[in-house]
Amino acid sequence: MTEPLIVLEGVSRIYRRGGEQLHALDKVDLKIEAGSFYAFMGPSGSGKSTLLNLIGGLDRPDEGSLSVAGQPLAALSGADIARWRASSVGFVFQGFNLIPVLSARDNVELPLLLAPLSRAQRREHAAHALELVGLSDRADHRPSQLSGGQQQRVAIARSIVTDPTMILADEPTGDLDRAAADSVLDLLGRLHEQLDKTILMVTHDPRAAAAAEYTVHLDKGRLESVERNETPAKA
Amino acid sequence: MPLRLILRNLLKRPLRFTLTAGALMMAVFLVCVLQSLVVALDAGVREAKSDRIVVQSAVSLFVGLPLAYQSKIETVEGVERAMKMQWFGGIYQDSSGFFAQFGVDTDRLLEVYDEIRIVEGSLEQLRAGRTHCLIGKGLVQRYGWEPGSRIPLQSQIFTRGDGSPWEFTVAGIYESDSASIDENTMFFDFRYLEETLRARGETEIDAGTYILRIAPGTDAVRVMAQVDSMFENDAQRVQATSEAEFNAQFVSMLGNIPFFVSSIGGGVLAAIALAVLNTMIMAGREQSRDVGILKALGFTDRTVFAVLLGQSLLLCSLGGFLGLGLARLASGPISMVLSTQFPGYEVTPGVLGQAAAVALAIGLVAGITPAWRARKLEVVDALRGEA
Ligand SMILES: Nc1ncnc2c1ncn2[C@@H]1O[C@H](COP(=O)(O)OP(=O)(O)O)[C@@H](O)[C@H]1O
Ligand SMILES: [Mg+2]
Repeated sequence: MTEPLIVLEGVSRIYRRGGEQLHALDKVDLKIEAGSFYAFMGPSGSGKSTLLNLIGGLDRPDEGSLSVAGQPLAALSGADIARWRASSVGFVFQGFNLIPVLSARDNVELPLLLAPLSRAQRREHAAHALELVGLSDRADHRPSQLSGGQQQRVAIARSIVTDPTMILADEPTGDLDRAAADSVLDLLGRLHEQLDKTILMVTHDPRAAAAAEYTVHLDKGRLESVERNETPAKA
Repeated sequence: MPLRLILRNLLKRPLRFTLTAGALMMAVFLVCVLQSLVVALDAGVREAKSDRIVVQSAVSLFVGLPLAYQSKIETVEGVERAMKMQWFGGIYQDSSGFFAQFGVDTDRLLEVYDEIRIVEGSLEQLRAGRTHCLIGKGLVQRYGWEPGSRIPLQSQIFTRGDGSPWEFTVAGIYESDSASIDENTMFFDFRYLEETLRARGETEIDAGTYILRIAPGTDAVRVMAQVDSMFENDAQRVQATSEAEFNAQFVSMLGNIPFFVSSIGGGVLAAIALAVLNTMIMAGREQSRDVGILKALGFTDRTVFAVLLGQSLLLCSLGGFLGLGLARLASGPISMVLSTQFPGYEVTPGVLGQAAAVALAIGLVAGITPAWRARKLEVVDALRGEA
């Protein structure tokens, strides 16, 4: 059996407020195979976002070890982690997090500035990603000129444009109505199935979780269970 | 694209952008003007010739010296020439038409003031008639006079008895290379003044000052001391000074004005710098989330630093550039208006350079605070909206 893509061993993230310690994550052990689709569920404040941020290198654990593709992240400098993130990780957030002053096309193109590509190649990749999410005709719109569902699809296009190995989505459907949520879930499902991306998605919505192969339950920073879903639903 | 991000973020709030750039423009403009005034004030001192000495009454500039002194002064070793120079105090038309006029020994004028170049007419024409005068190019521009023009002047000091104005005829036009002699002055024959006054029955005629030209290599200090002691026991004691010192008297009459003017400029700049800083800090806060996004995507701390600093620098370069342009455009009209008070007014490349450096410095100071903050921002905090 090959080495799992992501390995967490005894990972804790501890915030100190005054004299008190808050374990946002408490000794979490988890292994995630490349190409799998995970849903993370749990009450608000249970540490789901913290976990995702650690895996994506946006934050660092206080205890334990965390490696991705055999590389312990603790051994990397901030600049190295940033470089690794640019090439290997795509983020999708609940609040979309597009740059408001840039067009959809420019937003999607943004991560490509960090890749060794010509201007024409960047354009082409961005156009391709926008096509994948069905928004070619909205390329010149600013985020404020798009609906929530469309903005999230632009964000997904941005997350995929560098062809990363994994996509980390933190409540990607949290701000969307059902129809928009379905189209976002459908997209993530396709990225997983057709492009073989590893997808880690935080969600409150059991319907969304049903699209994943595994569901991880967190509570008060502890990993409660990992459930395998034998028949992932097609959104 | 970071450039696009810089531009778009700046233009996102057009009103704020315009107001801030406008404030900078005005500040830079003002600094150029104030600085040019200071430069102009000092020009006479800075460009004074070391081989010229001014002899004035030891009592006051407003007390004249006997005409007999001239030939005595010329006996001092090292003095090549001594020239009478009498302030006339004439007014053309009304009091706004003020410029300087001096009665001089026309045969010595070009020897003593060798920076004077006659560009129209000639010295011979100047000396060909008692009422003839030589005027600076600035007066030509201001009044449109040309050789042959007649200039009637009323003097505050010398009246003609019948109340009629003194008549002068333009015989030549000069240019000058130094600020000691500006181009807004009129020189005429001292004898015109002398003869008219004698004809009226005045007997005690004197000259305001004597300007000495000393031979190359002469010790000016020695000459001054010798001239001073020469008339120690006379009716009028004299004081000989270097031209620089003489010109500095006029600047010091203004007291601390140059310092005052510079201080105002500095104060304005400090106020504007604070206003720009405030604007940039606001912009920086508004862009916290963007900074978090950029960092999450893999952009380095250095890039986000540059994006924030770039906005401030661009804003200040633009405002500063407009201010410099305005100062350049306005320098013609301003120097016209100020030609008598500040004859040397000119916005020099040096002043422009200083003002440009100041604008960039403001951009740097105002931009570094938010840029540094952006650099230090943790992605997680920025995205949680807690920054
Ligand atoms: N920067 C922070 N400072 C202090 N406490 C934090 C910070 N980030 C998260 N927490 C706390 O850590 C816990 C887990 O947060 P989070 O991972 O965002 O939860 P979830 O995403 O599951 O809602 C919460 O109690 C939260 O208040
Ligand atoms: Mg969360």
